[in-house]
Amino acid sequence: MVREVRDKLRVAFVGKGGSGKSAIAGTFARALARRGEPVLTIDSDPMPGLAFSLGLERSDTPLPEDLVVERKEGETGPRWRLRPGLSAIDVVEQYSLTGPDGVRFLQFGKLRGHSATMMKSQFAFMQVIDQLPTEMPWSVVGDLPGGTRQPFAGWGDYADVFLAVIEPMAKSMLAGRRLARLAARAEGPRTVLAVANKVRDEADASVVEQRTGLRVVGAVPFDESFAEAERQSAAPIDRAPDSLAVRAVESLVSQLIEERQR
Amino acid sequence: MKIAVVGKGGSGKTTTSAIVSRTLGRMGYPVVALDCDSNPNLGISLGVGDTETERLVSMRQALDEGNEEHAPGWDELLDRFGSDAPDGVRLAVVTRIENPEPG
Repeated sequence: MVREVRDKLRVAFVGKGGSGKSAIAGTFARALARRGEPVLTIDSDPMPGLAFSLGLERSDTPLPEDLVVERKEGETGPRWRLRPGLSAIDVVEQYSLTGPDGVRFLQFGKLRGHSATMMKSQFAFMQVIDQLPTEMPWSVVGDLPGGTRQPFAGWGDYADVFLAVIEPMAKSMLAGRRLARLAARAEGPRTVLAVANKVRDEADASVVEQRTGLRVVGAVPFDESFAEAERQSAAPIDRAPDSLAVRAVESLVSQLIEERQR
Repeated sequence: MKIAVVGKGGSGKTTTSAIVSRTLGRMGYPVVALDCDSNPNLGISLGVGDTETERLVSMRQALDEGNEEHAPGWDELLDRFGSDAPDGVRLAVVTRIENPEPG
């Protein structure tokens, strides 16, 4: 069988709210960029938190409302669509912010503003994801909404790997089991792997594996300096570059790159 | 008294709700704990265990899938979709679990 060879990673982070998705996703993206990969990050969580862990100065950077226009009467398709002439690549090139290590950042989830703004933003997100070409100049790292309600929304066909961030605690592992169950359905995403977070020893990582049925591809230790960076709204990779947790995320990047090459 | 607990994911809503419920129960108040989360796990914090928590969720799901009838009233809802937690707390999963779309 000829396997599709693609050198870019497309990774989407899921998991229970508060499990550490954004902190790990941001650190992952920066670590990937430091290896010389152009990286695009997408925050599609309506409770956006990725900007902090990337080290961007602003935390809330919604896209302009005129990115999308309403469907004309008599036309079919989604009610809101990207402004005519604007391709998905254009959106990235014109509207993404560039943070440390050259990481590009697009925020689609929107906390403030009334619900119509949120809806427009989500439509724009779906279309950008749908229309991004297979051959892309960037590796893509997504930070998705927490929980198990439409956990893979919009990303199902796009991400090559979903990484479920799971703490070795009952509620977090229950969410992991639910994600694994959804992933097992025929129309579910292709690959869901677990990242055990805030583990205290090796046994913690194996508990996550046993209780969720997901293969643990990385284990990030409980780390006070990593937590402190988050408390200060700073990127862990800037504030605690030598911490065990940042090192573990760097290993996770290496692991995924290695698996991609196999 | 009706108390609703809200907040960001992982901030401790469920744990807080469970402790408030059981404390009120221990003080002798009759308490009903309603899990309104789309990822319902209040049962774990209340102490009814994984299996019972998942059983309540599947009961609720069966309703959405048309395999269960809606309860005609409050008492029957608590009876059919609820479970006894320690300290006399009655737990019910009332969230609308929309069939999560994988993509």
